[in-house]
Amino acid sequence: MKKDKIIIALAGNANVGKSVIFNHLTGLHQHIGNWPGKTVEKAEGTLHFKGYTIDIIDLPGIYSLSTFSIEELISREYIAVENPDLVINVVDASVLERNLFFTLQLMELETPIVVALNQMDMAKKKGITIDHKKLEKILGVPVVPTVATNRTGIYDLIQTSVDAIEKGTRKPAKIRYSEEVETRIQKLSKMVSKLQLPYPARWVAIKLLEEDEQIKGRIRPDPKILSAAKKLAKETERIHGHSCSTVITSERYEIARCIAREVQQIVPPTKPPMRERLHALTTHKILGYPMMATAILSVFFTIFSFGDYTSQLLSMLFKYFYSVYESLFGTEILATLIWGGIIEGLIAGITIALPYLIPFYLALYFLEDSGYLSRIAFLMDNLMHKIGLHGKAFIPVMLGYGCNVPACLGCRIMETERERLLATFVVTLVPCAATSVILLGLVGAYIGFQWALLLYIIDLLIIFVLGRIAFNILPGEPTGLIMEMHDYRTPHLKTIVKQTWFRLKEFIVMAFPLMILGSFIIKLVDVLGLLEPIANILSPVTVVWLGLPTITGITLIFGVLRKELTLLMLSTLFGTANFANVPGFGPREMIVFTLVAMLYIPCISTIAALVKEQGWKRALFITFFEIAFAIVVGGIAYRLLMLTGM
Amino acid sequence: MEKKLSELEPGEKAVIISIKPSPNYRHRHRHRWGFQKRLEDMGLTPGTRITIVKSAPFHGPIEIYVRGSRLAIGRGMAERILVRVEK
Repeated sequence: MKKDKIIIALAGNANVGKSVIFNHLTGLHQHIGNWPGKTVEKAEGTLHFKGYTIDIIDLPGIYSLSTFSIEELISREYIAVENPDLVINVVDASVLERNLFFTLQLMELETPIVVALNQMDMAKKKGITIDHKKLEKILGVPVVPTVATNRTGIYDLIQTSVDAIEKGTRKPAKIRYSEEVETRIQKLSKMVSKLQLPYPARWVAIKLLEEDEQIKGRIRPDPKILSAAKKLAKETERIHGHSCSTVITSERYEIARCIAREVQQIVPPTKPPMRERLHALTTHKILGYPMMATAILSVFFTIFSFGDYTSQLLSMLFKYFYSVYESLFGTEILATLIWGGIIEGLIAGITIALPYLIPFYLALYFLEDSGYLSRIAFLMDNLMHKIGLHGKAFIPVMLGYGCNVPACLGCRIMETERERLLATFVVTLVPCAATSVILLGLVGAYIGFQWALLLYIIDLLIIFVLGRIAFNILPGEPTGLIMEMHDYRTPHLKTIVKQTWFRLKEFIVMAFPLMILGSFIIKLVDVLGLLEPIANILSPVTVVWLGLPTITGITLIFGVLRKELTLLMLSTLFGTANFANVPGFGPREMIVFTLVAMLYIPCISTIAALVKEQGWKRALFITFFEIAFAIVVGGIAYRLLMLTGM
Repeated sequence: MEKKLSELEPGEKAVIISIKPSPNYRHRHRHRWGFQKRLEDMGLTPGTRITIVKSAPFHGPIEIYVRGSRLAIGRGMAERILVRVEK
């Protein structure tokens, strides 16, 4: 039977060139989304090949198929339950042993596999030659050598894959463990095979012996099997002196090591190559830091000078459009509403988010792909631990100082869901450029620079404390850094550009409607003359608790759209840009106002990014938490300042 | 000689003996083996040979060479990995 629709999944370790292969295969037919109900990215694409429509699913880059991270769980559930026609396992030929450990686990899932032996060029540079025919024989699955960055072997890969599917499923070779383990696996799998499960019986048996929580949950209705598994695992533990899970992982790695030794020959180059020296230099205990500072500052400078310039250019363009618009439609309510509500929202998205997001994504993927990101994480790990994060979070947190939006999106480089949520939360607390403008423009200009600095430090302390608290109360196991630092390499530019483009597209689809809706609602309230009544409703909070003038309520509402609007609105409503002489708005009020504006709510673009990355529930939770928190802190600050007689 | 991974000097070679579960962890959470499993999945199983490359300053992570690749391991985790130093 010939079907014309095929599903192929790409699986493999992180940084093995999987996304390069994905981009070669799917070209511009890609769709980036999230796995349903999860915060993990799902990339899908289609390919037409010899009359077939092939759906390609890019699974997350992982090292194992246990349940350590949500990515691992998603991957194995997808492979076992959704049953793709084939899995292409992308393997880094230059780190064969570690990659084969993953291949072995795929084989245990008894899914049809084709191995793409990628980065053959890198392996060659390291003096490694691999007999791929021999590897094919040992694994019992087709092996295709590839160099994804220059397209070598890609055609072969897809041809081999389609051939494999046409020929019908060929089960990969069976992995044999040591006698003690093997007999127990067989005993258990005989019991399991009577159950109706979507997974292969042998695999379930192995996972039960490994004390896999998720699989144990599936077996719960059969306590007999569970207790048998427990007994068998205990026996193994007694023999080896390590837990059964440890024994199985060890043996699997040992098998991977033997296969690697069997098929590869290594003649290391005599003189340390460039990338090794670069690695030593960039992780050097003294030189590493100035190099990192230079690199990060130049990335920042590029992102923000490009963003600033483009953003201003676009604003000017829109201002011109507005004058045309005004002359055409006048300033009647409907016209104002359409412009102010809908078009302004769009403009906010185009002029604020996009100019920064484009260079940001390019830079992030460049840093990640080249391998430098992991070196930064290595150097900064200790510092980030102080706020309950680890080294990898340094980049998103730094980015937060520029703009929270890319920072939120950047949090996806964190490995576990817990870490991602934690980093995202911390990032939304970081004062962005617009917040710094308020700080300097109000407190810095009218009270003194030292006060602005003090508020900045207070904000950092708050981040530190809240970060620690979140670290302690979030469920899940706190994890330290365990990170592979892959060899430096030249990033594949085309892939980076494509990745940027598809992420941007996804952001626009997700965030723009929200921004437009947000600005429409606020404009509607404004047009209907409801701003003042709302400010009055808010007055128990603004006036009584925070000691601010009533109209600040209005400015804080506008700040949701864009934080710098709080300052602009303030001058509009006070009727002056010189805040020194405004009655009832002295240093005390300025400090309280700035504190609240810094902390109270992520702007609408950030909320949109939060929704995209973490889902509605968490986005709303973070938002409301921060509003409440800002009000509490502002009120306390007000009272403290009263006490000091300011 | 038995040591913690975190106590080794750059250039030293060692064999992993075992990984200690985190101290307070057991009482608070159900899945007690998470981090140990993670280390093992990354190839740090008992009996594995490793080489210390360097450690980041200010008590930062430790870079080791294992199974043909380079790993960075946070200090807290390195303290729970017991090794035997090789000559």
